[in-house]
Amino acid sequence: MRLVACDAAALALGLAPGLTLADARARVPELLAFDHDPHADRLLLAWLANGCERYTPGCAVDPPQGLILDITGCTHLFEGDEIALAVDLQRRLRRHGFTARTALGATPDSARAKARFGVSAIGDLPVEALDMDAGTHQALRRSGLRYIGDLANRPCQPLAARFGKACTLKLARLLEEEDPHITPRRVPPVIRVERNFAEPVARTEHVLAVIGQLADESAEILRERGKGGRRFEVSLFRSDGHVARLAVDTGTPTRDSALLDRLIRERIDTLADPLDPGFGYDMIRLAVPVAEALANTQMGLETKVDTKAANAALIDRLSVRLGTERVRHFHSHESHIPERAVAERAALSGPPTGEWPKPETGEPPPRPFRLFDPPQPIDVTAEIPDGPPHQFRWRRKLHQVTRYEGPERIAAEWWRHKGGYELGGGGLTRDYYRVEDNEGRRFWVFRHGLYGQEKADPGWYLHGLFA
Amino acid sequence: MNNVRALPDSVLAFCHIGNWRKDKTSQDADLLPLGAPNVDSRLHGGLMRNALHEVFAAQGEDVAPASAFALLLALRLHLPGQRIFWVAEEKQDRTTGRIYPPGLAGLGADPAHMVIVRTVSMLDALRAAADIIRSKAASAVILEAHGSAKMIDLTSSRRLALAAADAGALALLVRGDATPMPSAASSRWQVRSAPSEPLAANAPGFPAFDISLLRHRGGIHPFEARIMWDHEQRIFHDAPLSGGLSAIVSGGKADPGTRASA
Repeated sequence: MRLVACDAAALALGLAPGLTLADARARVPELLAFDHDPHADRLLLAWLANGCERYTPGCAVDPPQGLILDITGCTHLFEGDEIALAVDLQRRLRRHGFTARTALGATPDSARAKARFGVSAIGDLPVEALDMDAGTHQALRRSGLRYIGDLANRPCQPLAARFGKACTLKLARLLEEEDPHITPRRVPPVIRVERNFAEPVARTEHVLAVIGQLADESAEILRERGKGGRRFEVSLFRSDGHVARLAVDTGTPTRDSALLDRLIRERIDTLADPLDPGFGYDMIRLAVPVAEALANTQMGLETKVDTKAANAALIDRLSVRLGTERVRHFHSHESHIPERAVAERAALSGPPTGEWPKPETGEPPPRPFRLFDPPQPIDVTAEIPDGPPHQFRWRRKLHQVTRYEGPERIAAEWWRHKGGYELGGGGLTRDYYRVEDNEGRRFWVFRHGLYGQEKADPGWYLHGLFA
Repeated sequence: MNNVRALPDSVLAFCHIGNWRKDKTSQDADLLPLGAPNVDSRLHGGLMRNALHEVFAAQGEDVAPASAFALLLALRLHLPGQRIFWVAEEKQDRTTGRIYPPGLAGLGADPAHMVIVRTVSMLDALRAAADIIRSKAASAVILEAHGSAKMIDLTSSRRLALAAADAGALALLVRGDATPMPSAASSRWQVRSAPSEPLAANAPGFPAFDISLLRHRGGIHPFEARIMWDHEQRIFHDAPLSGGLSAIVSGGKADPGTRASA
C-alpha cells in the first residue's frame, strides 16, 4: 500500500505521495491513514466546480485535485481585478476547510503549472511542469536544463527533434504562446442573467421574485436576438458553497416571461425535497442553454385565445409537474403486429407523427378501442380446432359467442428472425377474430399458432375490447 | 341552468327563470346534441357543453363501452385544432387495457389530436384534469378512474364542474367498477355494450350502447336508450326499431320503454 496524497503537515514531516505505507508508519508512527476513495474525490471536486460556477460558466475539473476556471471577461464583479477574484475564491474555500493554491495565467497550462509548483514566474518553473514522462524530465535535467526559463530561449527544432513534437507544444502552452482553451463541464449557455446579493436571500418569495425578474431580463434578451428558449436552468448559489439547480424544458421555443415564471414555480412545487435555502442564497442565475429561432408575432387588437400556444403551454406545464414521460402523444409505427403499430412518446419530444388507418365506409371499426399489452390468456371452446371460438372464459366469466368475423391472419415478422422463412420459424401466426358475446360485448381474440402446422394445441388470447 | 329551451311546464320549475330569455342561438350553442333524435328530445336538445358529466360502466367489463361513449361525446364536440386530453392513472392499463389509436381512428377520431396523461396517483390525475380544463387549450377532458376512488368526492367533482363551467370545456369522468356517489356532475350515465346490428355473415356490426340516464341536474327524468355510433358522420343514431332481431338473438335486455318511446 502506498500513500496517494498527504496533507501539509505530512509533507512537512518529509512524507510524500508514492511512499509505501509501511515506510511512512516507520517514520511517523502516529500517522493517520485513510483509504483512498477516488470516486468520492471526484464527487467532491465536481461539487467544488459547481460552486466555482458562480465566477464563470467556463469551469473545468483537472483531476485529481485541480480546477481550472476561464475567467476571461468575468471579473466585472471585482472591478476587473483578477487577484480580488482569486482572493475571494481562496476565502470561500478556506471557510470549507480546503487548502488551495491559486495562480493566474494567460493559458490553462501556465496557470495550472504555476499553481501546482507554487511559482509565480513561468521561467522559474521546473522542467517537470512540462508534464511529460519521467524519462524526458530526467534527460532535460541531465543536459543542464532545469527550468522552463532555460528552455524558453532555445530554438524549438532541436528540442522537437530530441523529445518529440509534444514537448514543444507543451512548452508553447506553458509560455502562453498558444491557448488550447479549456473544455468546460457545461456548455456555456446562450444567455445568462444573474443577480448577486450583498446579503444572502433566504425567503422563498424573494427568491421567486428574483427569478421572475431574471425571467423578464432573459425574455428581453431573447426578444432582441429573435430567439426563444427551449430549456431554462436556474442555479441557486448558497452562501455556503452548495448549488441547487432547477431546469424546465418547453415543447416550443418561448420567451414568455410569465409562462417561464409559472413553470419554474411549478418545478419548485414538485421538488421531491423542497428547496433548502440554509443561510440564504447569495447569487441566483438563470441560464438558457438551448435556444431556437422564434419570430416576433403581431399581437391582435382583439384578445383572441391562441389555442396552439395555449396547448403548448399546457403541455409544458403538465410535463414539468408530472414528469416529461407522463404526457404523451401517439406515434404510428410501420408494423402490422397490432401492439407494435403504436408508440407513445413524450409530448415534449415533438408533434405526433405517422398516418393512421382511415375508417372504411360501411364497415365497423376493425381494430379494438382498448388493447391489452400483453394479451390476456383465455380458455376457448371451439367447434373445430382451427375454427372460430364458440365460447370462452375470461376473468372467470363465461362468454357465449353469438357473432364473429374472421379469421384475420397476421403473420409474425419472420424477417426479424434467423431462419424465419421456414414454417413457424419466425414466430407463431395469429388468427384474429372479432367476436360478440350474448350480452353484446365485442372482443378481439386470437389463436396463437396455426393448428397442426405450427402448434399442436394453440393457445387463445384476448387482445382487445371494442366499443 | 341557462341553456334549456322549450321546456315542458313540469320541468320549468327546476330552472332559473332569470336566464331563460337568453338568445336562442346562444342556448343552442351551449348544448351538445348526441344526434340520436330520441335521446336529444328527451334531453331537450342535448347535454350541457360546459359541464362535468359522469359515465359509469354498468359492470367491470363495460369499461370499454363507457370510456368509448365518453370519447364519442368529446368527438361530437370536437373543434378543429383543439386537443382531447385523456387523463388516467398509469396502473389502470393492466386491468382495462390501454387506449389503442388505430381503434380510435376506427371510431372517427384523429389520434394525433389526443394527448395521453398518465399519472401516478388519482390526486395527480384530478389536479391535472382541473388544470387542463382551466387552460382552455382542450376541447374536452376525459378523466378515467377505476374502483372506489376516494379522491373523487363531492368537493373534487364540484371543482371540476366549476372549472368546466368557467373555462367552457367539456369534462367527462369515466368510472369503472364504482358505485355512484353524490357528485356535482351535470348528468350521470350508465353505459353498457348493446348487441350490434349484425352485418353480412353474422359479423358483429357497428358500436352499439345501452345508455341510461341516472341523474340530471336539470331535472330530466331518468330514461334508457339504445344508440349506435356512425363514425363517418360522427353522430349517434337511435338503434333501429327493427332492432328487435338483435334483441332476440342476444337474449339480452331489450328495453321495452325505449322502444315504445322511440
